[in-house]
Amino acid sequence: MMWQSILDEFQLCFGKGRYAYLLNGLGVTLEVALAAIVLGLALGFLAAVIRSTHDKYGHFAIANFITKVYLTVIRGTPMVVQLLITYYIILRSVDSKVLIAILAFGINSGAYQAEILRAGITSIDPGQMEAGRALGLSYWRTMFRIILPQAVRNVLPALGNEFIVLMKDTSIVGYIALIDLAKGGDIIRSQTYSVYLPYLTVAGVYLVLVMTFTWLLGKLERYLRNTGADVVQNDS
Amino acid sequence: MAETLLKIDNLKKSFGKLEVLKGLSTEIRKGEVVVMIGPSGSGKSTFLRCMNLLEQPTDGSIVFDNIDIVSADEKTRNSVRSEMGMVFQHFNLFPHLTILDNITLAPRLVRHMPKAEAEKKAHELLKRVGLDDKALAYPQQLSGGQKQRVAIVRSLAMEPKVMLFDEPTSALDPEMVGEVLDVMKDLAHNGMTMVVVTHEMRFARDVATRVLFLEGGSIIAEGTPAEIFDQPHEGRLGEFLGKVRGDDRAEASVEKVILKAAQDGKVTVAELEEILNSIRK
Repeated sequence: MMWQSILDEFQLCFGKGRYAYLLNGLGVTLEVALAAIVLGLALGFLAAVIRSTHDKYGHFAIANFITKVYLTVIRGTPMVVQLLITYYIILRSVDSKVLIAILAFGINSGAYQAEILRAGITSIDPGQMEAGRALGLSYWRTMFRIILPQAVRNVLPALGNEFIVLMKDTSIVGYIALIDLAKGGDIIRSQTYSVYLPYLTVAGVYLVLVMTFTWLLGKLERYLRNTGADVVQNDS
Repeated sequence: MAETLLKIDNLKKSFGKLEVLKGLSTEIRKGEVVVMIGPSGSGKSTFLRCMNLLEQPTDGSIVFDNIDIVSADEKTRNSVRSEMGMVFQHFNLFPHLTILDNITLAPRLVRHMPKAEAEKKAHELLKRVGLDDKALAYPQQLSGGQKQRVAIVRSLAMEPKVMLFDEPTSALDPEMVGEVLDVMKDLAHNGMTMVVVTHEMRFARDVATRVLFLEGGSIIAEGTPAEIFDQPHEGRLGEFLGKVRGDDRAEASVEKVILKAAQDGKVTVAELEEILNSIRK
């Protein structure tokens, strides 16, 4: 019977507590991805502000140089290689693989987010900075209260895309023997010699994650759009 | 004579090799309404933007509150700017904030005014320009004239000692120019010190206490509106005013025709020709 064989397969792959590989793996994936997004955002903001301030006023020559090296190295080498270098060389003495993964992915994503955010900052009319400064606000106050909120709103779709790429890219943490969702599925395959169900399930879970995330981003985008730009005229 | 607010001495500004301001000197006294006129590219906007250091002068001094702000440190510059309001040609309202937040942002952040107090004041100012019902709207929901009135209120909320206007009506549709000029006239009558760059000659004539004529980065002529507008002038000022008057005359003729057409429903060909000739002159 077909149903019986599917049920057996299911039992084989996820029974005897094997489902825990996926469940725990999912936890690791989410932990690494979300923490790396936050770290990447922080680094990205920093790098973007340094770069655009330097481009406009010529300040921070040294910080700008360091930032440029950071962007060049990170964007010029493969993620897997960066992960391995972080694990085997830079953070050799660190025990927590999750922490190592968060740092490697956060630093990697920061470089991409930096360029996205810099594009956003550049897209804002210079008159906004002038208006802020003319009111007596400092450069940094104007940057954080006036420029960045508008810049983020403008580049939210690109940022969301970067988050999605990052979330899926974490599936390579198996290289440093960290058991995430993908690696969990792979372990089940190696124990059961069954390929279809473990991998298709893993793929499905990633898909659901990304779709949920896309949906949330869409909601955020609509919310931000309704506070300000493109509001329907409602003169009273 | 009233106290001097801004004393500008031999102010120079170059962009690369291009010298835009060639050593300007003047004083802005308390309660004055100084209107700067001149052809485009004469440096009047740059001059205005140097006064609150949106442009860093290349040379010269600007003394405000007994400090030479040209060489002042960043902190002093910020506090000086907070004492000077500026209204831009393109309004530059903050699109991500409501009208109320646009107005209260600087008083709260720079003056550390409590939220309730800042909002109360914002409402009062908005009532003055007839826009209190827009307090919770966003800039995109306003017309150009309304945006500029809000921009003026945003500057006023900081209680500036002087207001700088950089072609405040140049980006407006003609029917909205009046409402903005009315607010500015109201300010002038209430004793606000103002420096205005504008092409609105009627405003200059009616409201200014002093008119500066700039050309090629220098102040070519200076005087009361009567001295500038009602006396014949040689050279560039005469040429400039001739052009402006020509526009005024043409405008008046067109107005006359439209008025007549509205009254009896038709205009003769001869009348139209007469108008066209007067414009060509």
